[in-house]
Order: sequence, then C-alpha cells, then structure tokens
Amino acid sequence: MSVEVKDLHFSYGKIQALRGIDIKLPQGAIGLLGPNGAGKSTLLRILLGFLVPDSGEGRVLGYDIRNQQTMIRRFVGYMPEDDCFIPGMDAVSFTSYMGELSGMPRQEAMKRAHEVLYYVGLEESRYRMLETYSAGMRQRLKLAQCIVHDPKLIFLDEPTSGLDPQGRKEILELIMDISSKKDIQVLISSHILPDIEQTCSYVVILNKGAMAAQGQISELKEVRYSLYEMKIKGEEKAFLDRLTKMDSQVEQTADKLLKVYLPPGTDPQEIFKIAVEEKVQVRHFVKSQTSLEDLFAKVVGVD
Amino acid sequence: MTIKERGYTHWDGELQDGRFPWWPITRIGIKLTFKRRFFKFFFAFTLIPALVWLVGIYVSERLEDFKFMMEGETDFLNVNPLYFKTYFTNEFLLFMVVMILVFCGAGLIADDLRHNALQLYFARPLKKRDYLTGKAAVIFFFLFIVTLVPGIVFILFKLIFAGNLQFFFSYPWLILSVIAYSVLITTFFAFYTLLLSSIGKNRRYVAILIFGVYIFSDIFSAIFYEIFRSRYFYLLSIKSNLQQIGAVLFDQKTPWNIPWYYSLLVIVAICVFAAYVLKRKVRGVEIIK
Repeated sequence: MSVEVKDLHFSYGKIQALRGIDIKLPQGAIGLLGPNGAGKSTLLRILLGFLVPDSGEGRVLGYDIRNQQTMIRRFVGYMPEDDCFIPGMDAVSFTSYMGELSGMPRQEAMKRAHEVLYYVGLEESRYRMLETYSAGMRQRLKLAQCIVHDPKLIFLDEPTSGLDPQGRKEILELIMDISSKKDIQVLISSHILPDIEQTCSYVVILNKGAMAAQGQISELKEVRYSLYEMKIKGEEKAFLDRLTKMDSQVEQTADKLLKVYLPPGTDPQEIFKIAVEEKVQVRHFVKSQTSLEDLFAKVVGVD
Repeated sequence: MTIKERGYTHWDGELQDGRFPWWPITRIGIKLTFKRRFFKFFFAFTLIPALVWLVGIYVSERLEDFKFMMEGETDFLNVNPLYFKTYFTNEFLLFMVVMILVFCGAGLIADDLRHNALQLYFARPLKKRDYLTGKAAVIFFFLFIVTLVPGIVFILFKLIFAGNLQFFFSYPWLILSVIAYSVLITTFFAFYTLLLSSIGKNRRYVAILIFGVYIFSDIFSAIFYEIFRSRYFYLLSIKSNLQQIGAVLFDQKTPWNIPWYYSLLVIVAICVFAAYVLKRKVRGVEIIK
C-alpha cells in the first residue's frame, strides 16, 4: 500500500474538515474526488505533514505521517493547487533549485531540470523569467518541480485548474504518461470528474470531510447501483416520492430527463409498476451507461 | 511534439541527506539580491567607512609622512578599542546596515508568502529551522561583510603596517570583541528583518517597515527623552541599544548612562518575540481559522 490512513480526523478550529477517513490505496493512478470543501486538499496536506491530524494514523510509502514527514517528502512530489513560484528566477534555476532542496547534488539537479522541463514541454521557454509565464506554463512548471527528484509517488492538487481545453488535454496526457509508463504512482485531487475518469483507475470520493466511496472506478460503477434514464408525462411528485421510498435516488436534469439510480437487486420492472399505479406515462426509458459523474452524483448527492 | 516522443527517464542517483540543507536557500538568496537593480553599487558604497578606517590605520603608522596634511589633533588616529568601537557603532554604518537589510532582507519571506512558495519549500525534506537558517544566512553574509570582515581586516592590517605584534599583545581580547559584536548585531538584525518580512506579503511594505521601525524607534526615544527627561527612554531606540552594547564589548563608557544589560535585555526580547512569530507564521500551509 502506498498510502494508508485509519480513522483520520482534522479540524480547522470549530470546522471539522476530515471525519474518520479510512483509505488504503493500491498502486496506479488514483483520483481523490469531491466537491469544493470536501477535504481533498486537507487530506493531501496531512499526508505531506503540513498539517497534523487531530486523531488517527497513517503511512505514506511506509513512513508514518506524524513522525517521518521528512522521509515522506523526500520520496513524494507535490504539485500544489495555488499558483506558486519564486520571483526573479528562470525555469531552469527554479526547477534545479527544487531538485537541490530535495537532496540532489547541484550539478545533477541542473541536468535533471533541463530533462524534466523538456519533458513537460517548456524547453523553449526554460530561460524566461517565471513572472512572464502564462497560467498553462506555470502548471507545467509546477509539474516539472514535482517530478524533478524522480519521486515514487506524486500528489497533484487540482492539476488542470485555470487551464484552457488544450492546456488541460496536454497536462492530462502528461499525467497519464507518468502514471502508466513511468512507474510513478499518482494521486490526483480534483473536482473535475472527466479528468479523474480519464486518468485514474481507482477513486476515493470525499464529501463534507467524510468518505463517500472508494474503489476501482469500473467496480463502483457496476456494483453499487444501476442507472436508468427516463422521461415521463403526468403527476411527477407522487411518482418521484414512490421511487425515493424504494431507496433509489432520482436526479432531474434541466431538460426534464430523470436519472434513476436503483439499488442493487432491484428489478427495473418496479419502476413501471409504480408508473401504472401513479397514472404516469413513461415516454422514454433506457439503461444508461454509468459514468463517474453519475457515481459522484449518487454518493455526494445532487442538490 | 507528443509526450511519447519526449520521454521521461528515471534519475539513477541517490537523494542525499545534506549536512547543510539550508545552503541552497542561502546561495539563491544571495544571488537574487545581487541581481537587484543598483544593489552592487549600493553595497560597494556601504564599504566606504571600512575603507576610510583602513586608511586611518595606515596613516596612524605613518604619521610623520602625513604630517603636512595634519593640523592639530591626531588622537582620533590612535588605533585602540575606541577606534574599533567608533567604527562599529557609528550612525552611518548602522544606517547603511539597515539599508542593506532593505535590499537583501525585505523579500526573504514576504516574496515566498506573496507567491505561495512556502509550500514548495516544505514539500521538500526541509525543516522549519532549515528554511529560517537559510534565509537568516543571507543576512549574515551581507552584514558580516560590513562588520566582521572589516573588523578582522583592521586588526590584520594594523599588525602588518606596524610590523610587530605589539598591538595584538596590548589588546588580545579585541578580536573576540569584534566577533562578539558582529555576531550580536547580525543576529539581531536577522531576527528583526525576518520578523518584519514574515508579517507582510509585499516587499515594498516590508522595506518601509524595516527602515521605519529603525528610524522611528530612534526619533520617538529622543522625543520622549525631551519630554520626560529620563534616559531610560533611550531603551526604545534600536540604535541606542546597539551602541550601548557595542561600547561595553569594546570596553568603553556607555553613551547613555543606563545599565548596559537593560539594552541587552531589549535586544534579546525582540529576538525572542521574532522567533515566536516566525514559528507561527512560517509553515507549509496557511491556516485560516
């Protein structure tokens, strides 16, 4: 297990940010998913040792999160969510500086800085002052400083935030390359579902500081529920109430499409029976291919 | 070019537990300071007092040769502890020290706060003390060049110009005084600068604070002294406290006729307060409760 935490609690004063988180992460690319304020960044910061948990325990790459933060940081790369850099430096000096701080010899760090800047696509602008970089270039730079010391595990906090579609595509391409071919484990925190679905095979979903779901995306999508899309005509309220009473979750889109999440083992015929009883016409009914977005909506709840 | 074509290779070296993990921070801090506009010119200007005192040492050994230039008093050319004390506690030097801090110290932490860089540092195997030592060492580097280095050079050149060791045997403790005062003044200003740099995110604002607190502490102490006629108000002045301690370390009479250990207490209290604030302010993540 690369990351393992047990019953983790953390509060910012009176606000409880994490409530009894239990995670065991396997190898590969892992998505940490949740709406804003779910506790994703807090969890990453605890794993890095920036914050000390109120209670609970955890290990990252076998090192204790309370007592061995230095060892964790030696072998982990971190790409923060915020825009961060050191003014007055160019990309090569900055990346090499970060490598040195990780424990690389100076000359090796410089050589390696050139390599990773080339890898993330900043080779042309590596001697430009960081202040002149665009948002997309800064994201790439953050990724470069994160992998300069060749970590075993990298934490990416909202890696695609503030990027245009092309920049987002390229960053995701880089992340997929790192996680699938470079033997570096990746933990991506994001609230952008397609990013996680595209890059990760395993997902941890947090909601309001608590664990909402975790597992292989494919398994979570199949086992936990069945999703049906339908359109109806007639008295909606009573019909929807009956559906909710049989433990299914119903979501209505703007174009009046109903998404019905049926619990495992429930026969979809039940929906038709209720429709008949409530005198509702079913105009459209199809079993939907579940996406991570559906899973997310199911476990987090849609307002 | 696609990602596949670019490739990524693992690094086959081994990450080291450096003895001085703070050294890269210091090296970059010094480098970035020298890149600042006008700094090289200004820093050379701060060495003028040292040059003048060095010429004074040379002239003191060749008084006969320079007699045609001298009229009246030549006592000020007696190279003794007073000569050193005058160099180390003169107002111009202290002022220039503060100006160096404005250039090299204002942005040390403020820039990292402004650009969210602290989390980049603390995502590395660095401890808080490594970060602060690295930043403080930048100040030590520049202030030692205008305090410790000239002090030792004065003693060496005095011995060289005299051609004998009499000066050394007359004041064997002087080199210790030079080291002690240089370390004291530099340590104090390191705490002072890092404290002010950690409470603002704008280096210009911090620069004004570094300059303003030093100047206004002196102005206010003088105003209070004029109103209440109590010498103890000189304890409010950073400059006066440093001059008091300097006088004691060079075995001279204190300028304000108040116990020197009160001044030391004020200086130590500021350092302790700074250490407390730095411990709370410098962290990988900003916590807003």
